[in-house]
Amino acid sequence: MLDLVVIGAGLSGLMAAYTAAQSGLTVRVINKGLGSMHWGAGTVDVLGYAPDAPEKPVQHPFTALANLVVQYPDHPYGLLSSDEIRAGLASFVALTEEIGLPYRGSAESDQNLFLPSPAGAARPVYLAPEAQSAGDLSRSEPMLIVGFKGMRDFFPDLIVQNLAKQGHQARSAFLPLSLVTDRIDANTVHLAEALDDLERRTRLGHELKKLVKIGERIGLPAILGMNDHSVVIADLERLSGVPVFEIPTLPPSVPGIRLYKALRSRLLELGVRIEAGMEVVSAEMTARHNGTPGSIQSVISATSARPYKHRAHNYLLATGGILGGGFNSDHTGHVWETIFDLPLTVPQDRSMWFASGFLSPTGHPIFHGGVVVNDVFQPVDGGKLIFSNLWVAGNILANADPILERSLEGSAIVTGIAAGKAIANL
Amino acid sequence: MHTESWQSVGPSLDECIKCNICTSYCPVASVTDLFPGPKYAGPQSQRFRENGQPHSPDHSVDYCSGCRVCNEVCPTGVKIAEINARARAHMAAEEGIPLRNRLLGRNELLGKVGSIAPPLANFGLHNQLSRVLADKVFGIAQDSKLPRWPKGGTFGKWVKKTQDQRLKSDKKVVYYHGCGTMYYEPFIGQATVAVLEHNGYEVIVPPQNCCGLPLLSNGEFDEAEKYHDNNVNKLVGYARDGFDIIGTTPSCTLTLKEEAPELLDKHDADSTDLKMAVWDIFEWIRERWEEGDFRTDFRPINMILPYHAPCQYRAHRVGKPALEILQLIPELDVRESCARCCGSAGTYGYKKEKHLIAMAVGKELFDFVAVQGPGVTMTASDTETCRWQIELGTGLPSRHPIEIVAAAYGLYNLESRQLTN
Repeated sequence: MLDLVVIGAGLSGLMAAYTAAQSGLTVRVINKGLGSMHWGAGTVDVLGYAPDAPEKPVQHPFTALANLVVQYPDHPYGLLSSDEIRAGLASFVALTEEIGLPYRGSAESDQNLFLPSPAGAARPVYLAPEAQSAGDLSRSEPMLIVGFKGMRDFFPDLIVQNLAKQGHQARSAFLPLSLVTDRIDANTVHLAEALDDLERRTRLGHELKKLVKIGERIGLPAILGMNDHSVVIADLERLSGVPVFEIPTLPPSVPGIRLYKALRSRLLELGVRIEAGMEVVSAEMTARHNGTPGSIQSVISATSARPYKHRAHNYLLATGGILGGGFNSDHTGHVWETIFDLPLTVPQDRSMWFASGFLSPTGHPIFHGGVVVNDVFQPVDGGKLIFSNLWVAGNILANADPILERSLEGSAIVTGIAAGKAIANL
Repeated sequence: MHTESWQSVGPSLDECIKCNICTSYCPVASVTDLFPGPKYAGPQSQRFRENGQPHSPDHSVDYCSGCRVCNEVCPTGVKIAEINARARAHMAAEEGIPLRNRLLGRNELLGKVGSIAPPLANFGLHNQLSRVLADKVFGIAQDSKLPRWPKGGTFGKWVKKTQDQRLKSDKKVVYYHGCGTMYYEPFIGQATVAVLEHNGYEVIVPPQNCCGLPLLSNGEFDEAEKYHDNNVNKLVGYARDGFDIIGTTPSCTLTLKEEAPELLDKHDADSTDLKMAVWDIFEWIRERWEEGDFRTDFRPINMILPYHAPCQYRAHRVGKPALEILQLIPELDVRESCARCCGSAGTYGYKKEKHLIAMAVGKELFDFVAVQGPGVTMTASDTETCRWQIELGTGLPSRHPIEIVAAAYGLYNLESRQLTN
């Protein structure tokens, strides 16, 4: 029997699996499909906006975090000490070095980076893939934002205009998409795979050299190689003679997919398989009774015929929130956790789900709700342990709005690691 | 046509959130823009294929290989591959089916005809001139790897010939061998029988038909339904009597379990009873092993073995049970492929206009085998067309995992593909 089955292959599930496997536990990850990392920007946001001051981005995330947990002691970050959060993020950075996809933060440890978004806004980010770090808006070199005529969803002029409004020096330029691909139609992944080709990236490097002025840095859509990413960036910087950085695109997110694939390889080396396409539909469990917590005997996924029972000593739920599929809802407004029917703090009345404005600065109550856990990330009901062998991490946790706070990946990483450690320390 | 009732396939398309993850993982879209990707050909075009719409809006769906990687990675559970299969059937009904596709859909018939006189059939099919003609006239890719009819005759003939030597036991299983084992690779069946008998099981080999998958893939749903009905009639009695029906080709077992019932709307009690009795052999062995009812008296096999779980195996959503069992063999260093698809995808790689695409898709897998080093002498995979494709792409022989297990028991020679006794 396995020591741990992780349900969900987002950042929290994979970090929990990694932490537990590193401690010698036998682990399997099962997931319904791929998600989260494939949609995000590939960066790690720890705290971009404080809930009580949503109009201004956070400059110093750990200072803001200290305030946040005083104000909101139930926040998932409040379950960990500041040192534990820092240590969790540091071990993520070490892991990214190890898998050849290094992440970088600001030179100061309590400082957010500000990186250009695909709309030219300044995004507060705590850690970024090395390839995005030269986009740091605190740097002084003017930016040349280069797009490709015919590439969908990447508009250098829009980016430049918005950067200029914020006082950043930037200009735009276009190259033909045929430099990158001969396809009539290509998404970001196809383009990134095309640039793995030495000849194509060499041609692109020569063209960039012609466009760029001395002292500038070049921003390109995040398509700079898939499997040979670090070599592609190095080649483009060498050929153009200036720093080159990626700006994340609309999904699919190449930086996110690179991270997912690199983590998958590392996990496989540790003997952890990610089994995709397995939707958990039910569980065998006993309920809490007479003061004794219940327990999970197996989780059951759908197959082409009979149910498949995954048996383990422990289970970790990392299925995400509404978008990840951790919750479901019906037309009456009922919202439930899809596997164990854990109690949720989500309003069970449809009219209470949303604030009045779409971009409401207070966020929407439905995104704030989730599963309540104790200080070792086990779900509780009125303070009482529900199952002796179930842990929860990531975006499914209650009392945070990771979209509003821009805390999605940071929270996923540190809660995933903490839950993985708690299980390994049993 | 089976497009009136959609059961679970149709409504699933409303779950599509247009995230493009399927397009990013589609092995075909990654090597050619003749196929724009599952999202476009599937859920997006499907809006225009609803009843009452005169024509399919997108012929590129013909370039979908049916590997089901899209289903595997979809975060919201859209049955994209099945939407595409239905769209192909719709197109076939409207526009007719080329003779080549009709031929490729009928491997049982081809197998039977060739088995009448194997040497003649092999010569007829495998000489240079025939392959050129087949390529030019029918569009069957000249460089694709077609199977040979074995000298010793069919698996059925072997079962009959050796019936006195077969184990009788209270523990019985039914073997669904499929056409590949029956007509081209009887040694897979022999290895299977040897492994099952070694574990004390009597193996029943009942009359059976092609599962119908090649017909489903080529859009001949009505013909596929006949095969499926025949199988249900021939096998449902065993299912009702509580026998497990185990198969060694994951695409065949997938068809009996899920593809035929879903695509053909066969949700009657007979089809469902059969579905629930069918197992892939390693899915079944893993269950026995977990119950402590599977022998692991393996001899060491000292080699590096790159193993590829076929896309159609992964579509069972049972994990990689063959890998788990192979890992029990001492000294066997099994290397797991994360490649999406070998490219062959059943009959896809045999089509002239798709053969190069299939080889380009397979490159990910061939490269994976190559980096395992020069010490690799063979690979393993569960489906016959995958093995043939991997052999074509790597130049190395490929074996079914059940052959490896039979060899580890000392019952089978992996070189000659013969039982040792």
